[in-house]
Amino acid sequence: GRGGARGGARVVVEPHRHSGIFIGRGKEDVLLTLNLTPGHSVYAEKRVSVDKVGGEAGEKVEYRVWNPFRSKVAAAVLGGVDHIHIFPGCKLLYLGAASGTTVSHCSDIVGPEGVVYAVEFSSRSGRDLVEMSKKRPNIVPIVEDARHPLKYRMLVGMVDTIFSDVAQPDQARIVGLNAQYFLKNGGHCVISIKANCIDSTAPPEQVFAGEVKKLREMSFKPQEQITLEPYERDHAVVIAEYRVSKKQKTSE
Amino acid sequence: AEYMGGSSMVLKFILFESASGYALFERTHSEEIGELLDEVQKSVMEFSKFSRLLKLKGFVPFISAESSLENINNITEGVMNETLLAFLENQGLQKSKGDKKSKFSLGVLDPKLGGSIKDQTQIDCECNDTVNELCRGIRLHLAKFLKELDNGDVEKAQIGLGHSYSRTKVKFDVNRADNMII
Repeated sequence: GRGGARGGARVVVEPHRHSGIFIGRGKEDVLLTLNLTPGHSVYAEKRVSVDKVGGEAGEKVEYRVWNPFRSKVAAAVLGGVDHIHIFPGCKLLYLGAASGTTVSHCSDIVGPEGVVYAVEFSSRSGRDLVEMSKKRPNIVPIVEDARHPLKYRMLVGMVDTIFSDVAQPDQARIVGLNAQYFLKNGGHCVISIKANCIDSTAPPEQVFAGEVKKLREMSFKPQEQITLEPYERDHAVVIAEYRVSKKQKTSE
Repeated sequence: AEYMGGSSMVLKFILFESASGYALFERTHSEEIGELLDEVQKSVMEFSKFSRLLKLKGFVPFISAESSLENINNITEGVMNETLLAFLENQGLQKSKGDKKSKFSLGVLDPKLGGSIKDQTQIDCECNDTVNELCRGIRLHLAKFLKELDNGDVEKAQIGLGHSYSRTKVKFDVNRADNMII
């Protein structure tokens, strides 16, 4: 049939439990995001085009296939995380953006009303990130060191969520520093932790617990922790809420 | 807390650097600093409450993409440039030479920039938790304070400046570009 090479006409798209994410039901189920720039792939990922529900004859909607082996956010979603905290209209600060493959899917999810502030220090990856961002008007590319958030304070607004994948031993501290300037009260951090980036000698469970403890010390309240098996080995995603509002005490 | 100057002054102004321009805020009440921190934390999420603590005193927009880039490059290095100096002077913050005793201090996020401002203007600068918390509130409500800008404008400026700033940070490989001509 039509468009067979692009994932087939038989794919049926359903909304995922997480708003802004979709599932393509076909020969094999795939995770999808609604393509913000129809007609374009970012990293040669497959695209799926289906008839628009309620649209005119021949009117199509295009989605991009999101591979959990290439994206820790996708792996966390398929791993059954309760809340991913990346949603339509979300303001997202993304630390460790690399070339921007996952950032591009986050850009699809937050949509035209959202913004992704994408921080990457390496100029090699940063070049790809800047190129990719040119086509996507909701991304602010920031080639700068996430350890020095004051350097990019003019580029970033208050955000709902910080996602971090910086693979540095002091990642928790880096997230805390950024939260102090940019994360709303009651906002969330979603942190990907690779155990042997923090400490290659300790057992992963102990490393994850240590990172959670550091987050607590920086006004984060841990809410969820999942491992990324089978997509990544010895990786966990930790989700925590920032500056949880205390119940107002009535004065005596 | 980090103070750059004497200990007798009162935090009165806050400098906020944005992609759209520089903004100066003025405290409307004179709570003790300890009480202020408490007040800010209680009111920060609601503009109607937060805006009782601070009012916008002045704003100078960056006039071009080139000007924005020049300003972010200076701010990143902690350097006060001509644009910022002129802005502070226009707002009446320049101290006269004979005036040794400072009555107010200017809150800034970056201690290095505070040092640069102090060196060139004698204005005492302050950089601490209270300034940090006030700046969180300003960042959250910036578009509401700057009535001439709506939310979308703030973000458009961030996107434009993010691109130009990051382009200069990315080292383009000349050889690689040449190879592509074949």
